[in-house]
Amino acid sequence: MRQLFNSDMECLVESDFIYLPLLLDPEIEKEIQALLRPQRPMENPGHPVSKTIITHQDKHFVKAFSIHSILENYEVINAYDYKRRRKEFLRKYQLTRAIDGILLDDTLKTILFQVMPYFIRKNRGMCRKKLKDEEILDLIGEKIDIPGKYYKEAKTYRHVEHLQAVLTGLENQKPIFKTPGNGLLSTHQLRDWFHEAVHAKILAKEHDRLTKALQIRLQFSQAKPEHAATLLYIADTGSMEIDGFGFTRKNGYRGEYFVYKRVGEFVLKDYYARSYLFPACRVAVSTYTPFRPFVMEKYKHPFLLRHKSGQEICMQHFAPPDEFTAENAIRILEGGLTALRYGYDARRRNGYHSLDRTWVYIPTIDFEDYRI
Amino acid sequence: MDLLKDIKQKRAKQKQKKPFRRDVFNQISGIVKQYGLKESFLSILDNVEDDLSEENLKFRRVRLKTPMESPLFSLATKDEYALTMSIIGKVDNAYLKFANSPEEILLCGSLYRLNPLLTNQKLMRYHFETLLLHERAKANREI
Repeated sequence: MRQLFNSDMECLVESDFIYLPLLLDPEIEKEIQALLRPQRPMENPGHPVSKTIITHQDKHFVKAFSIHSILENYEVINAYDYKRRRKEFLRKYQLTRAIDGILLDDTLKTILFQVMPYFIRKNRGMCRKKLKDEEILDLIGEKIDIPGKYYKEAKTYRHVEHLQAVLTGLENQKPIFKTPGNGLLSTHQLRDWFHEAVHAKILAKEHDRLTKALQIRLQFSQAKPEHAATLLYIADTGSMEIDGFGFTRKNGYRGEYFVYKRVGEFVLKDYYARSYLFPACRVAVSTYTPFRPFVMEKYKHPFLLRHKSGQEICMQHFAPPDEFTAENAIRILEGGLTALRYGYDARRRNGYHSLDRTWVYIPTIDFEDYRI
Repeated sequence: MDLLKDIKQKRAKQKQKKPFRRDVFNQISGIVKQYGLKESFLSILDNVEDDLSEENLKFRRVRLKTPMESPLFSLATKDEYALTMSIIGKVDNAYLKFANSPEEILLCGSLYRLNPLLTNQKLMRYHFETLLLHERAKANREI
């Protein structure tokens, strides 16, 4: 594509198709002569003649590609160029940050407003009540030191007038592009038209996103500035921890998180009632399959196969759920925590490894250094 | 030989891999593209006999061919195609497909007239200028 645009030749536009100058060799020339012979019988009588080759001003042009097809698939054909153009466009309208998209994310909302309240201390004293979303945001604001820049940003974020103006501007620009008329076109003209068309396509695509962003910001404009700052902070950093419960955005996977709960030091006893002190760790579940509990740190335990990080906890009769919901996440985390702390049976020596060295000792994972 | 054997031999021959040889079009089209030859080259080709006097051909040493990467299947634009076909039409001899440069295209006709029986190996290895001088020297000695 780039080679075509940078070349110096003429192409022909005919009924939304680009025709390129036909290159020749003796065989092709013979075929063309046969193809353009006037007495040639029609291959499919009744069907319109396919214009694979067109003769224009004594030059032969061959059908190369559909304008619409190349435009529709340009995002895949030349991902780098498309991204660059999109970035330029977003920068022009100051929309480079993907916070709107993150704030729309249902997974984050589930973690924040449904899973987190289960694990954190919400109320003081004996008082028990279910917290509303605003109260949860207040609680986060109390427990986390949110940098001042997010408060400033929240103030500007609540002003939707700028975005409204941008959106109206976009609508007035009429992103519908005109296909070039039939006839000869130099590659430079084709390139200019094509870039305009790609720009129009990006514009149309981003229009929906802008409308959504405007909706969110309108919601934000009614919320407290502190709440807006908290949400902006969470959306930007993608991680947070309160009372040993937290979540962190998985690198490279947009909209995917690890939800975790910290386990403090705990003691397990072996067959001879000797105690082993296990260090603190984080039991986590990811928001994408498999929905199984795992230990985030490098860790060893009778229920972990090796001594490394990110190992799934061995749990008998555990059927992982098919989807990520608040109930499932809570159940998986609870299951993982319980298994680590209370699942090991010294009499049965269940799990992958035994705490004490059995008489048929196969040196795999050793827990002698944890003994107290 | 019975019929069955004959058929089997024929089929085996058909199945045999044949080495691919570049045809004259691909070779000349490659030169046209590589050297950016224009239509003016045809007029040079017409007047080449006048320029091939002894003085114009200097015997330096044995000249080897300049290596050339010609495509297996050459596709040419309309102008290039017309020029290539004109060159082939004008020169029209068996040595043309061994030419590796415009200079060799020019010498091709004279060389063929002097000795049309040169081996492919010689034609592939030596520059046509060297071969032409060699053939001329041979002819002079015979006189």
